Amino acid sequence: MVQVKKLKDGSRQIILTAKQFDEITKVLSELAAKTKASTILLADISGQLITQRGNTDDINTAILSALAASDFAATSEMAKLVGEDAKFKLLFHEGEKRNVYLSNVGDNFFLVVVFDVSVTLGLVRIYTKKAIQNLLTVFETSEAGEDASKLLDQDFSSMLGDMLDESFK
Amino acid sequence: MFINWALQEINLKIVYYGPGMSGKTTNLEYIHSKLDPSLTGELVTLKTKEDRTIFFDFMQIEVGRIKGKKPKFNLYTVPGQVYYASSRKIILNGVDGVVFVADSQKDRMEGNIETLLDLENNLMTMGYSLENFPWVIQYNKRDLPNTESLELLEKKLNFFNVPSFEAVAIKGTGVFDTLKSIINLVVQHVQRQL
Repeated sequence: MVQVKKLKDGSRQIILTAKQFDEITKVLSELAAKTKASTILLADISGQLITQRGNTDDINTAILSALAASDFAATSEMAKLVGEDAKFKLLFHEGEKRNVYLSNVGDNFFLVVVFDVSVTLGLVRIYTKKAIQNLLTVFETSEAGEDASKLLDQDFSSMLGDMLDESFK
Repeated sequence: MFINWALQEINLKIVYYGPGMSGKTTNLEYIHSKLDPSLTGELVTLKTKEDRTIFFDFMQIEVGRIKGKKPKFNLYTVPGQVYYASSRKIILNGVDGVVFVADSQKDRMEGNIETLLDLENNLMTMGYSLENFPWVIQYNKRDLPNTESLELLEKKLNFFNVPSFEAVAIKGTGVFDTLKSIINLVVQHVQRQL
């Protein structure tokens, strides 16, 4: 299971193991192949990019996921205002050359699919739906997580401090 | 916080919070202008025609690999005006640390207090509290003539005794000290939580 932990201070922590990451990448690659999407992102609702597929060289995907997350959040607020109790599950932006399709993946994640207008929306919808089911299965796969405390030790803090000093000169 | 073991990445979200016109965007603009372009992405600002932040500003900072790990800091600002309350709440989603940018001018004290209470309320709806959450205060606009004394600002705003910094964000004074301090606090906090 992708660890989405509520910590004692209330903060939320998402930890993805290497195996889960590989499986998620596989699902996204398949979605990219089936829909001919130019770019696909998986991000968490706070706007952190998790992984990306397709042509991402020309796009700042960190910014795209931050914007998409707020797009989603803004629409949830809109849903509340108009009396829709559930969140809107998907958003669609239609352009002249490119369309963007955004869809929830469970409560904590969402997918962004950027595709050419020549691709039919129905096709994108069908394969995205399938990909979401597969992603949810991956998220629920039980697996012993790696010990996160090894990731950030005391050395890490002091080295980070030095690097910040260096960068902020 | 988001940790990706496959890529050894740690993503942390830091939000600049504060009343309207206190200099949140200016902080980000200064950081963006001074950092080596290889360390930072584009600075995105969603502004109104009058140059006020309507939704948020965003930029990402990387400092390279540390012991194989790649920390990434996502910096956001919130719109300060009172009527953008719901945008502020949205942007706080998943936040790991807050920089409260206060306006040092005498007539802005009420705005500072009001916004700090708004921050506390929003944090509480997410289950956090200012008392045990990583945050720092920046007293901005110290160069202006009618500023409040540091003592009074500390007394009125810094009731949890968090790290605080005097700043003139437009000239960059105090900007990096503030950022470094919040990054350190967030990393320490994460270490304790893991």
